[in-house]
Amino acid sequence: MNAPPDRSTRVLAVRGLTKRYGDAVVFSHVDLDVARGEFVAVVGESGVGKSTLLNCIAALDSIDAGSVRILDVDVTSLDEAAQARLRRERLGFVFQAFHVLPHLTVADNVALPLLLQRRPDAARTREVLAAVGLDGFDERLPQTLSGGQLQRVAIARALVHRPPLILADEPTGNLDPRTAERVLAVLHEQIRREGAACVLVTHSAAAAARADRVVTLTASGIRS
Amino acid sequence: MIAWLRQLSWPELRHHPWRAGAAFIAVLLGVALAFSVHLINQSALGEFSAAVRSINGEPDFELRGPAAGFDEALYARVAAHPRVAVASPIVEIETAVLDPQGRRIALRVLGVDALVAGTLAPALLPRVATGQGRYAVIDPATIFLNPQAQQRLGATGKTTLQTKTPRGPVDWRIGGGITAPGPPLAVVDIAGAQAAFDRLGRLHRIDVRLVRGADRAAVLRELALPAGVRAADPDEAAQRVSNVSRAYRVNLTVLALVALFTGAFLVFSILSLSVAQRQPQLALLGVLGLSARERLRLVLVEAALLGTVGSAAGLAVGTALAALALRLLGGDLGGGYFAGVSPELQFSPVAALVYGALGVAAAVVGGWLPARAAGRIAPAQGLKGLASTSDDTPMTALGPALLVTGVALALLPPITDIPLAAYGSVACLLLGGIACVPGAIGLALRGVRAPRHPLALLAVERARRQRNTATIAVAGVVASLSLAVALTVMVGSFRESVLAWLDTVLPADLYVRSGSGGPGSEPATLPAELAARAAAIDGVTRVESQRVTQLQLDPTKPTVALIARTLDDPAARLPLVGTLATLPPGRTAAYVSEAMVDLYDARPGTDLVLPLPDGTRAPVHVRGVWRDYARQHGAVVLTSADYQRLTGDLRSTDIALWLRAGTEVDAVRTALRRTAGELGFDGALLEFAEPGAIRTASLRIFDRSFAVTYWLQAVAIGIGLFGIGASFSAQVLARRKEFGLLAHLGFTRRQVLGIVGAECAVWTAAGALLGLLLGLAVSVVLVKVVNPQSFHWTMDLSVPWGRLALLCAAVLIAGTATGWLAARGAASRQLALAVKEDW
Repeated sequence: MNAPPDRSTRVLAVRGLTKRYGDAVVFSHVDLDVARGEFVAVVGESGVGKSTLLNCIAALDSIDAGSVRILDVDVTSLDEAAQARLRRERLGFVFQAFHVLPHLTVADNVALPLLLQRRPDAARTREVLAAVGLDGFDERLPQTLSGGQLQRVAIARALVHRPPLILADEPTGNLDPRTAERVLAVLHEQIRREGAACVLVTHSAAAAARADRVVTLTASGIRS
Repeated sequence: MIAWLRQLSWPELRHHPWRAGAAFIAVLLGVALAFSVHLINQSALGEFSAAVRSINGEPDFELRGPAAGFDEALYARVAAHPRVAVASPIVEIETAVLDPQGRRIALRVLGVDALVAGTLAPALLPRVATGQGRYAVIDPATIFLNPQAQQRLGATGKTTLQTKTPRGPVDWRIGGGITAPGPPLAVVDIAGAQAAFDRLGRLHRIDVRLVRGADRAAVLRELALPAGVRAADPDEAAQRVSNVSRAYRVNLTVLALVALFTGAFLVFSILSLSVAQRQPQLALLGVLGLSARERLRLVLVEAALLGTVGSAAGLAVGTALAALALRLLGGDLGGGYFAGVSPELQFSPVAALVYGALGVAAAVVGGWLPARAAGRIAPAQGLKGLASTSDDTPMTALGPALLVTGVALALLPPITDIPLAAYGSVACLLLGGIACVPGAIGLALRGVRAPRHPLALLAVERARRQRNTATIAVAGVVASLSLAVALTVMVGSFRESVLAWLDTVLPADLYVRSGSGGPGSEPATLPAELAARAAAIDGVTRVESQRVTQLQLDPTKPTVALIARTLDDPAARLPLVGTLATLPPGRTAAYVSEAMVDLYDARPGTDLVLPLPDGTRAPVHVRGVWRDYARQHGAVVLTSADYQRLTGDLRSTDIALWLRAGTEVDAVRTALRRTAGELGFDGALLEFAEPGAIRTASLRIFDRSFAVTYWLQAVAIGIGLFGIGASFSAQVLARRKEFGLLAHLGFTRRQVLGIVGAECAVWTAAGALLGLLLGLAVSVVLVKVVNPQSFHWTMDLSVPWGRLALLCAAVLIAGTATGWLAARGAASRQLALAVKEDW
């Protein structure tokens, strides 16, 4: 077990974030701080821009005002290559629809972030797979896995390179309640274990209940 | 089904119009090219046959003699026979006339009895021009020209015409015209023709109409035709042209179908990727109750509709292309069979149906595997986006089976003189080679460990797990490049063989022959003493004379050339194929061209009976076979001594001269013309040729004949590249979730495109390599099977490696660039959004 995270370190700092599509304002004046090891759930009505917020944090979508800092690095000031490097090294993603590559084995899917950083580590890959309950699944192809197992592969992939911040977008949206509960438990446990921070976008009250803090995104900002 | 098409297929078409447009254009081009070639050939053949029929008229039969003609005494007997209603004597002369620009134009002159010829062949009935007097038709010095002769000779408004004969020029008074269509033709009174062309007492044919109810066999029996004269059907000439040009026409049509063949691969690529992209939709429909068979049928109907629309447009474009080509090029596409024919377009609804059906069939065949893949989608997996995007049914047995079938078909003989089995072999080799790709990749990657570099890992594992998808992408390139390689090797081999052949058959420095006589006709002879006198000309070191005459070995086949020449060392002087057989004592040696073996089974060591020009039959022993690219229908070489012993004919038609180094060729020409004049032969009629000029002219004709193949290669490769572009851009669209994920994991758009570019380059390179190998295999079939079976000559396989390397490099660069550009366009959408698209 790793040492408890130092919650005084701020991993994510969002200030005055505004996003528009043309004249339509998706959200504005969003402020959000996430400390190391903190698990924050973002809830809100459908269409309020929860996923867009994650994309803006990850520099995958442009912003119209404000700033996003990850470990004191102003994401919006970076060029495309540096933004990609930041995602590669400091972020982990978990999606609603799993998004595992069908032509890679489970181990290769999980190891992808390590390979991107040119530091393959089979032992670490096996360790993370075992941690999410997929010990012995290394050479299996995604087609042979259930939805819950696929999401655990995605969680292992998000954690394998020890990113300080995990962005999870409705990770249980495609799962039945029982499987969703098990997957959430794995996600929560492993994030705690790795000492990472997590921003979880969800509609699920059960998922939000596991968070250290729940914030609500509205068109005019974030309410705690 | 209409409801499904409206709900499922129409939105897809509207969403990706360029994709369906590519497949539509591929089918359109394929059908248009093949149909236009068919229309041009059919129109030319129809026009040619109509011209022959109108000239030959409608007798019950023709009495035909050897090329030198027969004694006109036969006419009196035929005309006097009580069962003969009309007998029309005819002298046929091939001569030459100079047009207003001084160019030599071949003119066929028929000497007829105008009083009876019109009864059997109204098109030959002279129409006397105003002011020419009614007796002009029997005036031996008056000539009547058909429309094309009038036009090409610039005779309109003129009153005289001069033809060339060995005894000097002959002036004719233009008395009017005849209506016979086709190449330049003239009619003169038979007595005038016999006198002007030195054919006194000789006829070439007698057209005969019997009284009603007469028994043709009995009449012929009673006529007791002399040796060398036979009864021929009037449409024999037209049928012969149809037969001899058939292989050429079929080959050209098959070449034109290359584009359609490649188009089928494009349909395959496009529909495969369309199915891949619609996989969740099809899976959802599967869940909602659309059966596997219905999904299969839906995609097949889409393919058939695509084929139908493409074929309909192709038939329209093909008809327009044919009309344009007939207007600009006449009816001859390079083979020379229909030179001088200016046909009208003859549209054939039956042919249109056949070629339209071929287009639909190509699209349906191309759509079969994608349709099967659509039927086999596992709905549950498909909804999760995890079902295979292609039909992953192992094709390990199909590929090798097709290759073996291809080899077996290549060993079969032609069917009705057409290499149908060999064409089947080419198709099997191509399909088999492509079907082997997934298995071969699987084998190649079996021992390859997963790379540690992420880009390499993604590419290798994708190739390993989804190799059928990649095969789809390169199938078009493999098909088009292999056909281009095969055509390049075939044309290159032919060209090299023709060059080598020219070097062997043209050893002298200068060649002389009489300028009168047309292609395929009896050439005019030179004075017997000319060769001996030529040897005495200053600078001439050696002279050899040659006698060429035409023999009719089989009335259903074209004439065979009999060549009598000096042949001290056959192995060195003839481009022999194989070894010489031993000549039994007392026998006459003959050396036959390859066509004689195919057409008359004249193999070395066998005997052959030659019907000589004087009507006698001479048995000869075949000693060897030689390669002859000048005469497709056969040639026999005898030594001059043997020919003179058998016939007593000492005349020659050609003379070859070897000159001392530094000798002025022009001076020798002038001296020979003067010498010919002294021997009573019009020196102006002598035609001279130097090997260099013959070589240049031969290659010019060769390149013109094969120009169409370069265009077809370009079209095929264009379609193949289009296929790559369509496939890779569609793949990027189909893989957008994968790329969206990679963007989240830290890939830049440039890196994503780098993956696509690298994969595209690797797959195009693999496709180019496979295309090269398959093309070489197909070229062996074309060179060793299709050509000998079609044209009765062989050639040495010669691989132009430099050109092939350039071709492959061009395809590789163009394919990679096309794929990359297409992917760039397809990946321009925000990658991050892709992961949000719900299934």
